[in-house]
Amino acid sequence: MFQRLVLHDSAALYTIAAFSVAACIFVAFAWRAMRMRRAQIDRLGRLPFETATPASKNEPDPESSPD
Amino acid sequence: MPNEKITIEFNDRVVRQFLLATVIWAAVAMLVGVLIAAQLNFWRLNFDTSWLTWSRLRPLHTNAAIFAFVGNMMFAGIYYSTQRLVKARLASDFLSQFHFWGWQAIIVAAAVTLPIGLTRGKEYAELIWPINLMVVVVWVVFAVNFFWTLARRHEPSLYVAIWFYIATIVTVAMLYIVNHLSIPTSLTHSYPIFGGVQDALVQWWYGHNAVAFFLTTPILGIMYYFLPKAAERPIYSYRLSVVHFWSLVFVYIWAGPHHLLNTALPDWLQTLGMTFSLMLWAPSWGGMLNGLLTLRGAWDKVRTDPVLKFFAAGVTFYGMATFEGPLLAIRSVNALAHYTDWIIAHVHVGTLGWNGFMAAGMIYWLLPRLWSKPLHSTALANLHFWIGLVGILLYVSAMWTSGITQGLMLNATSENGTVLTYPNFLDTLPAIRPMMLMRVIGGGLYLTGWLLLAYNVLRTVRGARPVNGSVEVFAGAAEAGPSTLSVSGSFFNPPVVFSVVIFVFACAWMFGGDLVRIAGIAGAMFSVVLAYLHYESRGRRWADWYDRLLVTALPFTVLTLIAVIAGGLIQIIPTLVAQQSQNVEDRRQVPYTPLELAGRDLYVSDGCYLCHSQMIRTLVSDVLRYGDYSRLGESIYDHPFQWGSKRNGPDLARVGGKYSNLWHLRHLDDPRSTSAGSNMPRFHWLLTDPLNLDTLPRKIAVQRTLGVPYPPMTDAQVVAAAVAQAREVADNLRADGASVAPDREVVAMIAYLQKLGKYEAVAQRADGRTARLND
Repeated sequence: MFQRLVLHDSAALYTIAAFSVAACIFVAFAWRAMRMRRAQIDRLGRLPFETATPASKNEPDPESSPD
Repeated sequence: MPNEKITIEFNDRVVRQFLLATVIWAAVAMLVGVLIAAQLNFWRLNFDTSWLTWSRLRPLHTNAAIFAFVGNMMFAGIYYSTQRLVKARLASDFLSQFHFWGWQAIIVAAAVTLPIGLTRGKEYAELIWPINLMVVVVWVVFAVNFFWTLARRHEPSLYVAIWFYIATIVTVAMLYIVNHLSIPTSLTHSYPIFGGVQDALVQWWYGHNAVAFFLTTPILGIMYYFLPKAAERPIYSYRLSVVHFWSLVFVYIWAGPHHLLNTALPDWLQTLGMTFSLMLWAPSWGGMLNGLLTLRGAWDKVRTDPVLKFFAAGVTFYGMATFEGPLLAIRSVNALAHYTDWIIAHVHVGTLGWNGFMAAGMIYWLLPRLWSKPLHSTALANLHFWIGLVGILLYVSAMWTSGITQGLMLNATSENGTVLTYPNFLDTLPAIRPMMLMRVIGGGLYLTGWLLLAYNVLRTVRGARPVNGSVEVFAGAAEAGPSTLSVSGSFFNPPVVFSVVIFVFACAWMFGGDLVRIAGIAGAMFSVVLAYLHYESRGRRWADWYDRLLVTALPFTVLTLIAVIAGGLIQIIPTLVAQQSQNVEDRRQVPYTPLELAGRDLYVSDGCYLCHSQMIRTLVSDVLRYGDYSRLGESIYDHPFQWGSKRNGPDLARVGGKYSNLWHLRHLDDPRSTSAGSNMPRFHWLLTDPLNLDTLPRKIAVQRTLGVPYPPMTDAQVVAAAVAQAREVADNLRADGASVAPDREVVAMIAYLQKLGKYEAVAQRADGRTARLND
């Protein structure tokens, strides 16, 4: 049954199929992301800051160094 | 006691180890890169030795850059950020150490085997099969350590960086295993189970997605953690990061065939690869903008903080590389750019700009935190940034110019497209030599910048006290979060079931016969309508499933794997089923004789495929220059395929019979004796090294197992056939005035080169299969 893939000139079909698949994925996940609650978004976005990095106080003051 | 507070000390020792390994191996990778760039300018820098020859060192450079440099950097970043994001120490100190030392052992093994010519002959998949097994074991250890850590986490939610790490682990495992499936012929040699077009498709499915899932997704995860930390503000849009992740994971895997445009690869695959590559513009730029916009309000810090400088430039280079990639995947652009230095520019925008600068930013940020000591010199780090930036810009602008010049010259025709304007391939070399020299300077500057980093690291670490981070958590905190999914609940739910049903109907529509096709269309349309109606009436269940999926690591991982598998299966399975030797059209390759096969193994071992393609594209200029375009069946028995990806020299698909044996002998001994101005290294050891026929019977047996139609032969017959043909070649050389013993490697190499382009004509049978025309 795969012979048709080899023999037929289906460029247009595959271009449209590829676009459709990608578009569906973009739309579906964009829709889902837009529906996420603000509180949920804020909490997830702040996850990297929930664990302190105590050694950061050892960093030099960048203003003291030339560019 | 769920409310009991406990302190968790992170395992930052392994992070420090990977970080230091990154610094060292990156310097090695870059040093080899500068050397091989210089070798293309000055052939004497090959030093007339086999193990320092360009084609042996080039795989060392690429493997070191990908697996040693970016690999170690990735592991450092993943281990540091994951522990903090899930508030748990790495699950096993033993597995962490096994991972680190196992990975270093793999790198050392690669550094020893590649220069001595032990290779599988597939780009970025060159390592021999025992090392492949080591990679699989270490990767499994990494995965176990990672997922075990997730299972012990005290943070219920999985931050988007963790998603990218999960996608990396499962996808790289899948790609690596499939593309390295081989049958050994000895302890150091094997043949891949796929051949010809199948091997080409699998290789670039792997090769493209090695870029996607080894050099991109883990670094994106690192970006989503370290960039907000360095800028001291959350990611610009978490929503955008969600769209970025899913669209990247779904779309990236389909784009591999864009490495094979205008070749003998079936047209439908080329079209799919090109179109999906263009789709990648959207998620890639979404991610880039998300990174850059995270710096909103922090741009004043970029002026002084080298960490933010590196991150801002790294993300910008990500945007440049991901704009250029889809552009190069457009078939007509690819006709100009493929096989030229433009592709080299593209990959170095990614590796030096995106990977290298993100690595530098991460290292400068981590140093004071892992050793509890201020960075030795911020000024030196800033100097590193500017030297590196100038280096990249010199490098890529030189290669863009060189590539476009090469492409234009090699494709140029006159007399209404019937005559090549530059018929000699070497005509292009003088034109691009200045740019090749500028590449050496650019690469040298980048290496200098990295050495400044190494010095800064050394001075910072010397005498410093390593520190491990810690976090206080409530015991059992993870259980207090959102409810998770059961295994059945993960897969038997409306979104997954409807997706699977629609996918099955769509496949029936695409691939089925007349009736199945109609059923596929009807079923797909009906399922879409049904899914919409179900979503409208029970939308809460869809959302609830997704929210719970995001806090349940295992189902999330499995569904991510399914997302990346889908694209691969749709492209690879039809190719494996349909593109077989018994149903190729028009032409079919004539299998190599034992001596020719031995010569081919030498060709692969010496890395000739890295400069010489064996694929005449369906382009006027290629056909005028090299002969009739390559048919799919003409390489159907090639394990591994040799279509190549870069032409530093001319295509060899039809070189057989074009020159005399004597010409090849002289050319291999000293290319400049036959081709004035050539920059090809000498392969003079082929004239003196003895030809080893001991493993040839086993190799023929494996080829037969793989489907190459060799007649039944005893071991003695295999060797006797090789010896007899070697005598013929040596006699021919002697008749032309050259004296070479028949048991030297060069004799097998000449026999192989003279076979290239030989085929038998085939005709279509009524049953759809093909037969020789004289059957």
